[in-house]
Amino acid sequence: MTQKQDPQTLAQQGDTRGSAKLSRDTISAATVAVLCVLLLLSARLVSPALGSWNQVETVLVLGFFLVVLSYGQGLVILSGGLDLSLPATITLGGILATSWVGATDPGAWYLLPVVLAVCGLVGLVSGIGIVWLRVPPFIMTMAMSIIVASALLGYTDGTPRGSAPDAAVWLMKSTFAGMPTPVSVLIGFVVVGWLFQSRSIWGRYLYAIGTNLDAACIAGVPVVAMQILPYVISAICAGFVGIALVGYSSGATLRMGDDYLLPSIASVVIGGSSILGGRGTNLGTVGGAILLTTLGTIISALGMEFGLRTVIEGSIVLFALLLLREELFQKLRTVWR
Amino acid sequence: MKANILKGLVASTALVATGLVGLTAAHAQDGEKFKIYLSLSYSGNAWQSEAANIVKALAATPPYDTQVELIENISGTDPQAQISAYESMIDDGADAIISFPISSTALNRTIRRGCDEGVLFFMYDGTVTEDCAYNVSFLSAGFGENTAQALVNELGGKGKIFLSRGVPGNSVDQRHTDGAMSVFNKYPGIEIVAEYYSFWDDRTTQQETAKALAAHPQVDGVWAQAGEFGVIQALLDANRPLVPMTGENSAGFRRALADPEMQAKGLRGVSSGSGPAQSGYAFKLAMEILTGQRELEPQNIEYPLPWVPAADVKICEGDSYTDGCNVFPESKVPSSFVSEVLNPVLLPEINVESALNGTPVPGATIQPLPADAVVTANNEPGINCDPCEAAPDMYKLTKVEATVQP
Repeated sequence: MTQKQDPQTLAQQGDTRGSAKLSRDTISAATVAVLCVLLLLSARLVSPALGSWNQVETVLVLGFFLVVLSYGQGLVILSGGLDLSLPATITLGGILATSWVGATDPGAWYLLPVVLAVCGLVGLVSGIGIVWLRVPPFIMTMAMSIIVASALLGYTDGTPRGSAPDAAVWLMKSTFAGMPTPVSVLIGFVVVGWLFQSRSIWGRYLYAIGTNLDAACIAGVPVVAMQILPYVISAICAGFVGIALVGYSSGATLRMGDDYLLPSIASVVIGGSSILGGRGTNLGTVGGAILLTTLGTIISALGMEFGLRTVIEGSIVLFALLLLREELFQKLRTVWR
Repeated sequence: MKANILKGLVASTALVATGLVGLTAAHAQDGEKFKIYLSLSYSGNAWQSEAANIVKALAATPPYDTQVELIENISGTDPQAQISAYESMIDDGADAIISFPISSTALNRTIRRGCDEGVLFFMYDGTVTEDCAYNVSFLSAGFGENTAQALVNELGGKGKIFLSRGVPGNSVDQRHTDGAMSVFNKYPGIEIVAEYYSFWDDRTTQQETAKALAAHPQVDGVWAQAGEFGVIQALLDANRPLVPMTGENSAGFRRALADPEMQAKGLRGVSSGSGPAQSGYAFKLAMEILTGQRELEPQNIEYPLPWVPAADVKICEGDSYTDGCNVFPESKVPSSFVSEVLNPVLLPEINVESALNGTPVPGATIQPLPADAVVTANNEPGINCDPCEAAPDMYKLTKVEATVQP
């Protein structure tokens, strides 16, 4: 600890912190990807029909919702917060898309962005409450969730009307460049998301804020705007998922977002992010979301009791998390060196 | 506490008095209305809202509009919350509680206390085993076994099938599935290749079916509980031919059954299952008892099993089920709309707008229930009675006959 080191040797060592961080994130993303492939291949043991390209397509289409959602959740967690208002915001997007836009409204091209903007507004209110009024993110987003969900219940009288906009149906049901459209859109989304989070200044700001708010403030990061921004993006992602879900199942329901909250947080954590913020990559999160979806698909093919299936699913998630622990990487690095 | 008991006594004496004299509107003329609570466990799906809406519409239809003060309460999916809601209603001097019970056993003690204070309990769709409550339900009518037999008939006694079930651990799901298995087990040619829980929800059904389709290249038929429309969508998404299937009463499913394009792709089957109309029926029964028009001891009352095979589906042009039509077009209701919410015999006074918005039909008045409306239900241990013996012919087929032998 107090041992003095010769400045010369220190200089020779060089700064390896950057590369260590890079390799850690890369490794966790790669591990998740490898796990996915392993799962898919081993699925052939369960049923010969699994592991085919068809199944990959099913996983990607079903995983579309979770990937988009957990990207927004990932940004919020990265900045040191948590977004519990996702289910209500998904439902908001879905219900507005069916009731305002409907199947063949020629105004869909401007109404759908308006729907997304309304969802973004929900995120903006959450963000303002958290940053200016200092309400803890957990409480603020939960409150917004309850308010939005109840408003929707009142607005729809319990029965959401209307049908899915053609654009949403096209998004989920058509094929584009030989692939299902949602898969192509998903690839585009991941690329843009990666550019924003890992290659833009705003992305770097978020890492800075999540690591140390005070330091980021002193360093001149616009902390207020950058703390609110992730909630807005997250809400817009959720609204987009709502529209996509409406296209997928041809209609909105009031509980359509309920199943996605915990998986969205789990994807982020499995993908190697710290739940405390400041660390993680969106590629890892995408991998986490795909891993969870793959797992769900394979597990449901097992001809077992429901209880046992859920136990296995939970165990694999736990196993993946343990595998991605930082200590493990530290150990591996020292062993390989 | 004492005041409450006193109030309950006064109320029940008043009830007996009106019952004896047979003055239907005595209460109303006194300026005193029957206090009736509508206790939902949860809200937010089409079924629950339609069930609540028709009760609201009936309560606003003359002469009920001057006789009833209807108070709605939503307590969520937690039995504790519904227990405490019941407690408050009893203490508030309720005359009757119309309720969708979240559990068949957890509420018993509270219901017993309410009965002792003179409150009438009417359960719809779900049931309780406490025998001082009236259970109005289709559960004993044999949804599972009848639909299973219809599917077996369509498949000629052999084929690979999926089971799309409800909520794990739920007594209703178990009763339906037990009934269905009593039929499937008789046919060695029927192979259940996938069984999954779809939580009575269209979207979950669609996703779970998509997963099952990825794992099983061949499926010849699907036995589904509510959420069945998702099965059709998943098959279409996967570019698979449609198959014979059975399900509950969503407008999407019924319209698909009647659609020549879907039929050409292979869709056949029958729409049956739980109807929100049960709430309206329970409410009218409660009112007839309160106003002394009908004498009825607490018992298990069977709501007839809806049964609409593909050939009988007819799309309505008006706002109600007249001339034998039984589903509304897409311009009127979304695909998740539960069609079995109107009943021309038991609930002639309401229409589709009542189901969607809870509004009464202008000019309509409450019609009395047919004198022979009440059918006593079979005992179903753990579902509508406990302890009790199950009827030996519990899984007897009532709507369909076996056309193929094992």
